[in-house]
Amino acid sequence: MKRPVLTLYCLLVYAFLLAPILVVVGASFNAGNFLTFPPQGLSLRWYVTFFHNDVFMRAIRTSLWVAAVATVISGTIGTMAALYYVQHAGRWKEAVRIAMLAPLLLPEVLTAIALLFFVYAIGIGTTTMIGMVVGHVLITLPFVFINVSASLESFDPSWDMAARSLGAGRLTRFRRIMLPLIKPGVIGGALFAFIISFDTFTISFMLKGIGTSTLPIQLFDYLRTNFTPEAAAVSTVSIVLTLVVVIVSEKVLGLRIHRF
Amino acid sequence: MMPARRKGLGPLILIAPAAVLLGVFLVLPYLNIVVMSFRMPGQGTPYGAGFTIGNYTKFFVDSFYLLQVANTLWIGLITTAICLVVGFPVAWQLARGAMRFRALAYGLVLSPLLVGIVIRSYGWTILLGNAGLINRTLTGMGLIDRPLPLMYNALGIVIALVHVFLPFMILPIMAAIQGVDPSLESAARSLGASRFTAFRRIVLPLCTPGIQAGCILVFVLSLSAYVTPSLIGGLRVKTMAVTVVDALIDTFQWPWGSALALMLSVTGALCVVIFARLTRMKWKVGRT
Repeated sequence: MKRPVLTLYCLLVYAFLLAPILVVVGASFNAGNFLTFPPQGLSLRWYVTFFHNDVFMRAIRTSLWVAAVATVISGTIGTMAALYYVQHAGRWKEAVRIAMLAPLLLPEVLTAIALLFFVYAIGIGTTTMIGMVVGHVLITLPFVFINVSASLESFDPSWDMAARSLGAGRLTRFRRIMLPLIKPGVIGGALFAFIISFDTFTISFMLKGIGTSTLPIQLFDYLRTNFTPEAAAVSTVSIVLTLVVVIVSEKVLGLRIHRF
Repeated sequence: MMPARRKGLGPLILIAPAAVLLGVFLVLPYLNIVVMSFRMPGQGTPYGAGFTIGNYTKFFVDSFYLLQVANTLWIGLITTAICLVVGFPVAWQLARGAMRFRALAYGLVLSPLLVGIVIRSYGWTILLGNAGLINRTLTGMGLIDRPLPLMYNALGIVIALVHVFLPFMILPIMAAIQGVDPSLESAARSLGASRFTAFRRIVLPLCTPGIQAGCILVFVLSLSAYVTPSLIGGLRVKTMAVTVVDALIDTFQWPWGSALALMLSVTGALCVVIFARLTRMKWKVGRT
């Protein structure tokens, strides 16, 4: 190693970044009734408790359902907007970009509160899940947009022209040329949107109705009053779910997700 | 040359859904919340009839809230400063270091972003609590008699916030450093500049945009953070975002909550503008 001090320093920072995550995973195997150190033996009992806990299982289903619906909607809208942005926006390009990134630039707490008042003002309220899904679409939209427009920027218009000069119609050109080229961007953006939606807290917290808590909300509520390692088991399962999505996307599909 | 692209309403269909979504569910709600902040407080209802500026005068008259805003800004500022100091060397190493494990290191920096904020804050409560891992280890080793106060105070909040937002500092700075041609430094060194001077006069000014972006991101994110201060600060230390959300969820004071949320956001935006002005001026002075 050329610079031992810098390397050591970076290793310490990486340890700092990983510490709370590793601690949660470790705590989930604690056999004791409380989070005691050192742990009173290893056990999977808290996973069993978790899988038999209807409240948490319902929350996980809600989270997956909201994330799936929000991903499909924001994936479609975001991809269309990215197509417009790269190919048709012209002098409005910068304005479109800022508008599409707005949900990311505005404080999430303020967006969540504003949306809460608005769904009541227009009479939707929080009895259905419409408000929550709309909120999730809003905050995931920038990630789809960033990923798809990044993959579109490398698109060479002359390919499209070549196909056109060979007599391909508009739909054929989109299906045979555009779609295969932007597919990695669309899938990458959608996967990242799914993760963001699955993990997000503030928007769900403000817009949840009765009985529509997502996993992060249920976990947060639980943590305010309980101290058993069950929360750690819930967290570990949630982390593993996210990891599976990332590993599948990066290894199997060979994607590189753009986060910024 | 191809014939000019067909102009017309066709392409607008692509942007229409996004425009409608953002217009209806982002612009209108933001206009609505501004109106809401001027409404009368309600009795038994979220808001009453008529308009007032009372929600804002209440904010400026009551030193409790001014103090809380100052406290929140202070926590944001400290978090940003620590993230910068801690993150810069890591960004440097990622951008310039000849590492065999660069992909792994990059993954490590990104990994916290993929774990939900509730889980990460929970991890810190396990570490920092009075009966937490750190205190138990230290008492076990006989180094301390009573647990160190690491949680339920500003210190705990800052530690956890630094963890939560560090990647947002490292990534933009890393990108900026990658954009600086190393031969510029070599040129400066060959002209007799010390390693420190070359860094201060060449590298630092060139990667300022990345530093600014990272600082603004971390600062704004820590101002509006709710989960981390709520779980780590408990009831004892409250930041502004926690007060705002609790005012809305627990007491249903919509106009008052709106005014508080807007004041927090406006103060944050003002800080960002001042920061942008200050850093730009300073760097220009530094360069001439």
